[in-house]
Amino acid sequence: MGFGKYLVIRILNALIVLTIVTLVMSALFVKVAEKDLQETIIQRVNAEFQALQQKGQTPEDPDAWRAQRLEYYRSMYHLDKPYWWRVQYYFKRTLTFDFGKTKNPVFGSEKDVVAILKTAIPRTIQLFTTAQIIIIVLGILLGVKAAQMVGSLFDRALSIIALIMSSIPMWWFGMIMLLVFSFKLGWFPSRAIPDPNLTGWAHIADILKRMTLPVLTIVIVSFGAWAWVIRNIMIGTMQEDFIMAARAKGIPERKVIYGHALRAAAPPVVTMIIFSLLGSLGGAIITESVFTWPGMGRVYWIAIETNETNLIMGLTFVNVLLYLAGVIIADLAYGFLDPRVKVGASEHM
Amino acid sequence: MRWVDFKQSLSEFWSDFKRQKSGLLGIGLLILFIFTAVAAPVLTSPDIPDKWQEFWLDNPKNVPPVWVNAFSGEKKAAHLIIEGEALQKLITETDSGYRIEVTYNNEYDVPPQDIVIKDLVGNADGGKPSITVMVERPDGREVTLIENYKFSGKIVLQLGTHPQVRANLINWIKSEGIQIDPLQEFQYRTLMDATKVIFGKFNENILEHPEPLKGTYKFTILVNVPEGTSVSFDDARIIFTGRTYGWLGTDFKGRDLLSGIIWGSRVSLVIGISVAVVSVLIGIFYGVTSAYLGGWKDEIMMRFQEFMASIPSLPILILMGAYFGGHIALWQIVVLLAIFGWVGIARVARSMALQIKEQTYVEAAKVLGAGTGRIIFKHMVPQLLPYAFAQMALSVPGAVLSEASLSYLGLGDPTAVTWGQILHDAQTAGAAVNGYWWWVIPPGLAIALVGLTFVLIGTALDRVLNPRLRRL
Repeated sequence: MGFGKYLVIRILNALIVLTIVTLVMSALFVKVAEKDLQETIIQRVNAEFQALQQKGQTPEDPDAWRAQRLEYYRSMYHLDKPYWWRVQYYFKRTLTFDFGKTKNPVFGSEKDVVAILKTAIPRTIQLFTTAQIIIIVLGILLGVKAAQMVGSLFDRALSIIALIMSSIPMWWFGMIMLLVFSFKLGWFPSRAIPDPNLTGWAHIADILKRMTLPVLTIVIVSFGAWAWVIRNIMIGTMQEDFIMAARAKGIPERKVIYGHALRAAAPPVVTMIIFSLLGSLGGAIITESVFTWPGMGRVYWIAIETNETNLIMGLTFVNVLLYLAGVIIADLAYGFLDPRVKVGASEHM
Repeated sequence: MRWVDFKQSLSEFWSDFKRQKSGLLGIGLLILFIFTAVAAPVLTSPDIPDKWQEFWLDNPKNVPPVWVNAFSGEKKAAHLIIEGEALQKLITETDSGYRIEVTYNNEYDVPPQDIVIKDLVGNADGGKPSITVMVERPDGREVTLIENYKFSGKIVLQLGTHPQVRANLINWIKSEGIQIDPLQEFQYRTLMDATKVIFGKFNENILEHPEPLKGTYKFTILVNVPEGTSVSFDDARIIFTGRTYGWLGTDFKGRDLLSGIIWGSRVSLVIGISVAVVSVLIGIFYGVTSAYLGGWKDEIMMRFQEFMASIPSLPILILMGAYFGGHIALWQIVVLLAIFGWVGIARVARSMALQIKEQTYVEAAKVLGAGTGRIIFKHMVPQLLPYAFAQMALSVPGAVLSEASLSYLGLGDPTAVTWGQILHDAQTAGAAVNGYWWWVIPPGLAIALVGLTFVLIGTALDRVLNPRLRRL
């Protein structure tokens, strides 16, 4: 099986998953939206009726007029169609990124879900990648160091930190950071929404200052577990024969570790990098809402608090999309780096 | 497996496990948590979940725990409620009604927020009953705080914010010969912190910067009951609203956070353990079945497993929350988390089962004509139990975290008291930014501790049951 064919199969697989998940989501969503739309319609008809009353143009038969208006809106929102028709309708709309509008504006005056997401996602990526780059560098450095000194005090301390940090909710740690650095010491602003009056360098400095706490939170909570996994992979690799051979050849230790061992350990490490990226995305998204960082997490919080079904649907879809893309990239990287394996269920065993 | 064998293997396991210090620490913590969860109604009171969503009117809002006084130079008043027996002892009958004498020892730098006379019931068939409150201060000065306040039905009289109390205090200060700027007088009449004045040193700064006057205060409450009217003291309470409360303080609804933390342990443990057990069992059976059946059935089962693995759980859970009307009941959370929880375990279980499948005794069982179900349940799954137990313990923290995260996002069960929900309220009220540390730190620490408990137990089990993983 060639790499091209393998690639096509992975992408097809992801598309199938996306289709099924979207279908399930649409089926759920139609049910949720139904309640929502009915309330909206009744409110609208009532408002129209009052407007007519104020003008002195009250319809002769109010009940018949009401029924007719309700019917009109029901057909406008397709509520008169059968359930499955609506599911496939939403399904198509979702796949074409048509999520409609929110009831109340988010981020100033924006009501269009796609526009809101377009504003929010880059911000999330900005925060998240910054944190992840720091985590990866820290993790590799510390993990390799611990693997060199197995059983030392440093190694034990790293294991304990990894153990404790893995059971701490990231968003709670964010609250603690706010409590200490924002409330107690006053070093950083408590809200991450940038100051609109600043431009140029001042603006960049402002953003960096506001990013510091959320980034620190993500890094502190995640780096321990990371370093620990790298340590375990490296311990396995360091016992391989080719490392012994390299050492015997008299190659300097640093070169042995970072040139030979780390390269051999690359496939699992890269996959892990991508999977932990995906895994921590959820935690980071919740953490955003603590710092009111105006990314996806903040939008999620607003959407849940104000019951914006369209927005939740859009967010969910985009999230699944990002996740699937990540899974494909992880698979490809693995297949690319490690020619011995062709990833896939049937190839494994 | 006979009982004798079981007992022997159990004692062997225990003697191994005893050597794992971290595992023992985990077991100790687990016992502590289970005790807390089981004893919650005894430790606090059984009606906490019912009244958790309400405002606790008698309690102060957003105040720190009592023990902060030990760490700060400023002593803040504790919360004091005089009710029932204690109150009945203070009541004496007089010709015109009742007289209640309350002595309050003020040893604080910051006096109580308020003095509340509550749930005194007057049945006004004749004239309305009325209340007069006077206080004799440690410096010998007497002040009448409120005079002939008429009431009927249940009363809630808050002296700290009552306009008549403020006016009386101002008149008293004037009559003692202190000048007040007329412009400011109006401000004091509407915004004065009356208790700080009542418990304040008498000097010209008593309104502007009241300094605490420590000592014994005698409050005299006269209840005047006209002919044909009666007053009931059955539910009556006199509350000196504290500036601190209990072991863990209170939140914006005046809820006692300690009882919230104690009750929250129930949800955490139940959800964590049930999700872990259910999802590990499903995962093991799924993996073993898939491996044993082999061929195209295996292929289909693994495709489905891959499909499940490539769904991100959090967004779907949030969507489900919206689907269930913004709140997911506890059992629904268990089901949902289990649906996403078995996936990783199934994969590992399958690869283990593939090795077991090749063993001769499985072959022998097949030849003897044992059915698929019997082979899977009797011969293969028991081989995986050690792995399963360790995995169960290790899956608990994830489940606890997921539940807490959902509750934190405001999608939790509104009828349950959970740690995530306490943190959701804290975030909504801006607790971190306002420095209400007693509201933010304990719930998160509790979540982290439960997680740590099971990680400790899980890793210890792993080391004992799967010896290949013994430390290098």
